[in-house]
Amino acid sequence: MRPPAPPRAAPPTGASGRPGTAPVFSLRAVTVVLGTTKVLDRVELTVEAGERVAVIGPSGAGKTTLLSLLNSTRLPTEGEVRILGTDPAAVGTRDLRRLRGRVGTIHQQSHLVGPLRVVHNVNAGRLHRWTLARALLSLAWPRDLAEARHHLARVGLAGRLDERTDRLSGGEQQRVALARVLVQGPCAVVADEPVASLDPARAEEVMALLAGLVAEGGTTLVVSLHAFELALAHCDRVVGLRGGRVVFDLAPEEVTPQRAAALYQIDR
Amino acid sequence: MAATTGTVSIPAGRRRGSFGALAGVVVVVVWALAGVGAFGGDVFNRPGLALVGRFLVAAASPELSPEFLRLTLDATVTTVAYAVLGTAASTVLGLLGGIFVSELWWRRAGRSGWRRRAAGAGWVSARVGLVLPRGIHEAVWGLFGVQVLGLDPLVGVLAIAIPFGAITAKVFAEILDEAPRAPALALHEAGAGHLAGIVYGTLPVALGDLTSYAFYRLECSIRAAAILGVIGAGGLGFELALSFQTLRYHEMWTLITALVVVSGGVDFWSRRMRTSTGPARRRVAKISGAVALGLVVISMVHLAPDVSTLWSARTREQLGFLGAAAWPPDLGRNRFGDLVRLSLETLQMSVVAAAIATAGGVAVAFVAARGDERTGRGRRVPGALVRAWLLLLRAVPPPVWALLFLFMFFPGPLPGALALGLYNLGILGRLMAEVVENHDRRPAFALAAQGATKAQAYAYAVIPQVAPRFASYALYRWEVMIRETVVVGLVGAGGLGRLLGSQLAGFDYQGVVVTLAALVVLTFLVDLVSTLLRRALR
Repeated sequence: MRPPAPPRAAPPTGASGRPGTAPVFSLRAVTVVLGTTKVLDRVELTVEAGERVAVIGPSGAGKTTLLSLLNSTRLPTEGEVRILGTDPAAVGTRDLRRLRGRVGTIHQQSHLVGPLRVVHNVNAGRLHRWTLARALLSLAWPRDLAEARHHLARVGLAGRLDERTDRLSGGEQQRVALARVLVQGPCAVVADEPVASLDPARAEEVMALLAGLVAEGGTTLVVSLHAFELALAHCDRVVGLRGGRVVFDLAPEEVTPQRAAALYQIDR
Repeated sequence: MAATTGTVSIPAGRRRGSFGALAGVVVVVVWALAGVGAFGGDVFNRPGLALVGRFLVAAASPELSPEFLRLTLDATVTTVAYAVLGTAASTVLGLLGGIFVSELWWRRAGRSGWRRRAAGAGWVSARVGLVLPRGIHEAVWGLFGVQVLGLDPLVGVLAIAIPFGAITAKVFAEILDEAPRAPALALHEAGAGHLAGIVYGTLPVALGDLTSYAFYRLECSIRAAAILGVIGAGGLGFELALSFQTLRYHEMWTLITALVVVSGGVDFWSRRMRTSTGPARRRVAKISGAVALGLVVISMVHLAPDVSTLWSARTREQLGFLGAAAWPPDLGRNRFGDLVRLSLETLQMSVVAAAIATAGGVAVAFVAARGDERTGRGRRVPGALVRAWLLLLRAVPPPVWALLFLFMFFPGPLPGALALGLYNLGILGRLMAEVVENHDRRPAFALAAQGATKAQAYAYAVIPQVAPRFASYALYRWEVMIRETVVVGLVGAGGLGRLLGSQLAGFDYQGVVVTLAALVVLTFLVDLVSTLLRRALR
């Protein structure tokens, strides 16, 4: 049994009213239709605090859409999504911003701002707490440099504060994105194929870093992955997605090679 | 794990560098404003303001009588014909010239020793050789052409084709050089001839960019044809100047509308070509090809340029006469002092115009940028209005703007700078709006997803992306503006252009050669500074 994770910021309240018991993510009968395609079909998913969940499945299974529901960038067509006990569709702008600040996202292409220096990209993790004036001032005179440097050191990029972000390699940029999430200090991290563009050695490195940092802070992690072995090695729960449906939701040891093969099988 | 208070800082030198650059630009602009007389106090010509007022009011009632409309249609066909033929000729020249001016052609892999040095020298001289036709404005080529070839429509076509061909050659060479080398190299390794390797390996990739650029050149050619019209080539520019001189403002607005429609039409066609994808793209390409061919044929028939004048006896006679009259170039008396003063004045005019165009362009770029299906009515309408206003600003030839400003201000470099600034605002506004339309939205989206406000996402993800492109376009237009000062100067606005005008009127060909040389040197220097600055931005 896993000990309950220490609460970050304000403790979430669940339906029972007791603090600390609400799941971090809760999806009930969620369906997402894009155009004419049903991308997700009556998905049920509950993620508790501190879990490390891997979402695996073939291309087009709906992994990205599922993750975009978790970081509130997309709303479901049907069903109910709750992030830290809150429905993102039901809150005002200010509360939504605060909610979003508590969920960090890592993308496959890192989505950093190329022309900016690494320090600004890392500090951008604080934008959810900063006023506009502070944000603009920081572009001219970077603030909180010590903390930025500290987190960059944690991801192994100490001393690269000053470089232009687009001059770094793909793996290094992904680590800058990681540092940004650390600076943000969220309750949960959603990672969409964070290592798909990296070679196997770098991929293992980044995944180990991500899993380790998340474990250190007791943060919840939901990560979608192509590489099945990485999922088994770094997560404690594996959700298999195929054709918009959850096919299985098991501990890594229980995912047999047959199950995995069935998931990725190409329909003839 | 607690954060220690900041003893770490970004190297102060880097911060000082960018502030220093900004301060430098401000200093230069203020110097230029002082030079053109903006701080002089008594610059307004009050009686003239009334005339300008009348001109603006006449916009509500353009001249719509059938005879005048027929005249306008005929003038429109003439202007379009010049533009089409000029672009077609300059594209062909640019394609051929571009290959032979590219590094790709000159630096063959594997050559060594004196061959390599000779090839390097050859490349440099080819690039330098292009500076001369590029540095001389179409209007000046036109005036020169009239002297040598007489009053044949061929002059108008060549006046556009020669400088634009040189510019296209330079741009195309750069496109070729920046295209990936690997395909052509692979072909060379497999034994293909040098030219064949380039044609098979690099050209297909570069051709897309070249087509896109050719459309941009067509837009510029329409404007050039209008300017040539003002100095006598016929067409909309000619009629516009005529109506202006007789103060027939209602007629002017009919002609301006025709210019706006033509510019807008080319703009629309070019956008269609660039944004269509999939099967629609091939259809658009085929239709465009047919339309282009049709236009070339119509233009040839309508203008009927006489190519034989190029090698006629009279031409050789005229060239000989001009050559004798213009040599040796006269640098005596106080000409040198005048030349330096006027060169500085020309430079200041171009800086002020660039400052106005850049500031205005940045201000409207975000409004003028086209949104996608999701933008609401509240955003679309102002956007369309601003785009239409920008179209108007760049459809009216700069000499006409200059003549209007000469109503309002006393003669000198200031009205010329304002005219060029306004005209280029129309161009830069559009170019900058395109940058905003094409920027990568994902970083901003990612920041919003982690709780940043819209304004913060703009400041952190959008501005840093578009600002370097804005600066790059502004610098590029500055290069063009230094040449355009000639045209506003010819109608009286000041700088080297005004000197050139008076020298031509007095048949002082020796002086003309010196002034032209000064213009070429000035263009080359601005070119150099602009290229260095743009490279630093990248």
